[in-house]
Amino acid sequence: MKYITTIDEKEFLVEIIDDRHVSIDGKVVEVDFESIQEQPVFSLIVDEKSYEAYVYHGEEGLEVLVKGRLYHSVVEDERERRLRAASGGAVAQSGTLHLKAPMPGLIVAVSVEVGQEVKKGDVLLILESMKMQNELKSPRDGVISRIEVGAGDSVEQRQKMLSIE
Amino acid sequence: MFNKVLIANRGEIAVRILRACRELGLQTVAIYSEADRQAMHVRYATEAYLLGPAPSSESYLRGDKIIEIALKSGAGAIHPGYGFLAERADFAQAVEDAGLEFIGPSASAIAAMGDKAIARETMMKAGVPVVPGTEGTELLSDEELLKLAPDVGFPLLIKATAGGGGKGMREVTNIEEMPTLLKSARREAKAAFGDDNVYLEKLILGARHIEIQILADKHGNVVHLTERECSLQRRHQKLLEEAPSPIMDDDLRKRMGAVAVQAGQAVNYESAGTIECLVDSEKNFYFLEMNTRLQVEHPITELVTGVDIVKEQIRVARGRKLSFAQEDIQVKGAAIECRINAEDPHNNFMPSTGRISHIVLPSGPGVRVDTGVYSGFEITPYYDSMISKLIVWGETRAQAILRMRRALAEYKVVGVRTNIPFHQAMMDSHRFMGGQFDTRFVEEEFSMEEIVEGKETFPDIAAIVATLVMHDQTERAAHVVRRGERDTSNWKWLSRWERLNR
Repeated sequence: MKYITTIDEKEFLVEIIDDRHVSIDGKVVEVDFESIQEQPVFSLIVDEKSYEAYVYHGEEGLEVLVKGRLYHSVVEDERERRLRAASGGAVAQSGTLHLKAPMPGLIVAVSVEVGQEVKKGDVLLILESMKMQNELKSPRDGVISRIEVGAGDSVEQRQKMLSIE
Repeated sequence: MFNKVLIANRGEIAVRILRACRELGLQTVAIYSEADRQAMHVRYATEAYLLGPAPSSESYLRGDKIIEIALKSGAGAIHPGYGFLAERADFAQAVEDAGLEFIGPSASAIAAMGDKAIARETMMKAGVPVVPGTEGTELLSDEELLKLAPDVGFPLLIKATAGGGGKGMREVTNIEEMPTLLKSARREAKAAFGDDNVYLEKLILGARHIEIQILADKHGNVVHLTERECSLQRRHQKLLEEAPSPIMDDDLRKRMGAVAVQAGQAVNYESAGTIECLVDSEKNFYFLEMNTRLQVEHPITELVTGVDIVKEQIRVARGRKLSFAQEDIQVKGAAIECRINAEDPHNNFMPSTGRISHIVLPSGPGVRVDTGVYSGFEITPYYDSMISKLIVWGETRAQAILRMRRALAEYKVVGVRTNIPFHQAMMDSHRFMGGQFDTRFVEEEFSMEEIVEGKETFPDIAAIVATLVMHDQTERAAHVVRRGERDTSNWKWLSRWERLNR
């Protein structure tokens, strides 16, 4: 089985040959892979080097913790990759971007208005959660096309708050 | 004398106090909000009572209900922990009026030191240097503060009169931006403390934040337990503390210790308290504020002095004398505490909520973890984002740093993002290792990315692991589908199979 695995924007071609062998970018390595009973913990021995990994589902793909560093991964097989390529790719830099609440909380202030031009890094709104006021900044340049929340509103996690064209 | 203690708090500090009570052989009463039914402190205590819904204003801040529960359960004393009701003079008074012992200072000491403006005046009268700021105890309007600002001098800080932990605090560099910042500071102070009064204070540049722990009994004994270095902060929230301070010398320690004891005596202090000071590059120190409660970072002092501060608090509340005198206090070795928060250091320290699906706490020689979380714990937006405190001790500061590195590497949290990578980078920072930092270091000079950049990474290993995990899951899902293809349900099939094998 062949997979295209993206780790923090770097692609690897990973082929699972059999229980003990994997090829990564064309290089075959011998692997000993164990799942620790009922825990999201895995032990991987590659060329006698021992690695411990903690794996959990993120918003998209898997988060993999190896040697104190968290790697964000997306694993696709060839079919999924072709489908995605056909649909024009998922991450577009243009088009509408919806700002969703990263956590439940209370809107303290909305700093922008509909029609306003914003630059990447501009403060869009202030969300209070865990007793802290968090400034949510624009992830890119654009124009505010819609605002769905106001000061004093409570928002749920991942609730759409405003849109940037 | 009481034999049962109600702990008016949650999380790691509730567990910390419960542990002290258990060692002293005291019965314990836990209180909890609806969000905390499964919490560790509930399971650890001898008795547990529901307070109310999750928001603190309907649960952990309900002093009236808490006193009612104490009376009903027969608890003779209430330990407030930190935060919530810990520094509310009216609560301490109400506890006393109900005939219960408040494990902390008297209501009058809290009132005198808890209000920062009154505290400054008390200290100035006692001859202790204070940071220049709006003096006096009266509450000032925005107009009055704007008029006084140029006298204090820029840059300055707006601080909440009832505040702590950086809430309601704003830094002002010029008069133009001050009205907006006053407004937001008052708003935040109101939300956090129910009191929107603020005052101004000159910002001392290049300052270190050093605090002195004191303990006092009902017999007039006040002893200081030396200092803690707390300069590593972000938005005035402490992230990492150590004891002793790398800049401390015997003379400065003696001078600061004497002032701290004097401050305690000035208000007839009892129980544990902390005198926070700013120390400038010439080793001049200024009184900042007094925290009339147990501090989050108290364990580092416990590790270097050998004194169990919480147990001493309980002992003195029971009328005993302190179990040691000033000359018994010696600093041995070095201790560091890292506050492990559910915050993403790669994303502007954004709080991260969700379920901790798995957690592995570090252990081994010289490592202490104070926590209230466990695998399956849900981090809600109702309370603060601290997951635990990781504290290590070493014979020297260098040994403590090496030990902290080892402990951080052992610490695994799955399901939410934590600031562990920040602490790891700090332990690798040359400035931290050299002890050369001030209160601005984290925000203005420290770059996590720069330190992480040179480190060896393992994206290929992560790729192999991710692919194998995904591959296994797909395979297993395929199996389930295939089994479902049988013409009867799995349960029926299973019972038939069992009958066949009988």
